Amino acid sequence: MPVVHLPATLAAEAGGQKHFELEATTVGEALRQLPMANLFFDEQGELRRLINVYVDGVDARGGRLLEEPLSESSEVRVVGAVAGGS
Amino acid sequence: MAALLPVGTKKGLFLVRANGSGWKVEGPLLPGWLVYHAIVDPRDGTLYAATNNPFYGATVHRSSDLGKTWERAEEIGLPEDSGLKLNATWHIEPGRDSELWLGGDPGVLFRSDDGGLTWDVNRGLLEHPTREKWQPGAGGMCCHSIQLVNGTMYIAISAAGAFRSDDGGESWQPINKDVAADFHPEKYPEVGQCVHKLLVHPGKPDRLWQQNHCGVYRSDDRGDNWERLDENGLPSGFGFGLALDPDDPDVAYVIPEESQEFHYTAGGRLGVYRTDDGGASWTLAGKGLPERAWAAVLREGCSFDGSAVYFGTQSGSVWTAPQGGASWTEAVRDLPPILSVEAADV
Repeated sequence: MPVVHLPATLAAEAGGQKHFELEATTVGEALRQLPMANLFFDEQGELRRLINVYVDGVDARGGRLLEEPLSESSEVRVVGAVAGGS
Repeated sequence: MAALLPVGTKKGLFLVRANGSGWKVEGPLLPGWLVYHAIVDPRDGTLYAATNNPFYGATVHRSSDLGKTWERAEEIGLPEDSGLKLNATWHIEPGRDSELWLGGDPGVLFRSDDGGLTWDVNRGLLEHPTREKWQPGAGGMCCHSIQLVNGTMYIAISAAGAFRSDDGGESWQPINKDVAADFHPEKYPEVGQCVHKLLVHPGKPDRLWQQNHCGVYRSDDRGDNWERLDENGLPSGFGFGLALDPDDPDVAYVIPEESQEFHYTAGGRLGVYRTDDGGASWTLAGKGLPERAWAAVLREGCSFDGSAVYFGTQSGSVWTAPQGGASWTEAVRDLPPILSVEAADV
């Protein structure tokens, strides 16, 4: 099954669990199953601007984003965009 | 002194507890979140935090065990037909019965009847006929002040002004007469004032105080008329923090800042100014505070109860003084930049 890896702030929203194995065929299907799914999407259902998703090391924003297909062995990483300084 | 001060910072929430003659710090809780405001609901002891994250948006967290475990609101958002999106959650205020109110950016108000799990937007404010005349201040278009007393609600938004509702939030009347908006083409518009903090005196509910972008004001008739007070001895009319004395409606505290361009303490001194005559005069109540400091106190950074006044600085210190402001003590230092301080008895 695909595995989703989360940063610490999101993992804390799921009791500290950083990795989730999920039955999903697309990025969107995987993200929407997570317990903190409502943090990924704004009220119009759009993926928040500063959330990046990498599938097997490739930025899904450069592909089909939420429709990006997943295989049984896909590794999905959710990463906040590089926007530091504060 | 309050038993507990929930202190919201740019790096999470800290609980500052009275510990004998000193204070003990617990935290950071909710690391990764900017905590714009946090309260302990006096009705049931639930800890609420208005939490914001540049990546994951704006929400509310709640804890029924004072921060050991947390739940997050299921949904907070604006309806698609508004064309608006929620930018930030700013202020949480208990209401009547089980009501809970939440102010946010862009100039919006929500109500929860299930202890903060779900939130309904207030349509009267969302669709206010003057909304197109509102504009965001430097902190966004935030609804930061929510006051409920004797069935009347007051809110304040930067920069839309102050509003009153006598019908439980169905409709909102602007209450900005004689309140200056020096940055506005009209100096005294109906709406568009940049209120920084609005408080109602808990024992004299017709009396309102506000620290505004353009002065300090008091109203004795529920906001219908305002009297400007900063020209009675304050070094500057600009500032954010405001505190009252629940036992004396003539007492107020402000922390003036240099100007709208330079957001640091007036004259490079961390000075709290106190009035005990309804704003007719102001006295520096600065004993114990550093005489050279370019600190800044944000709009949620002041609090008070019957025994003391509290404030937190962007340089990470929490200061306390007994009512009267006779002498200040630095309760905590070296926290992250402080966004909010509240006093709670638990």
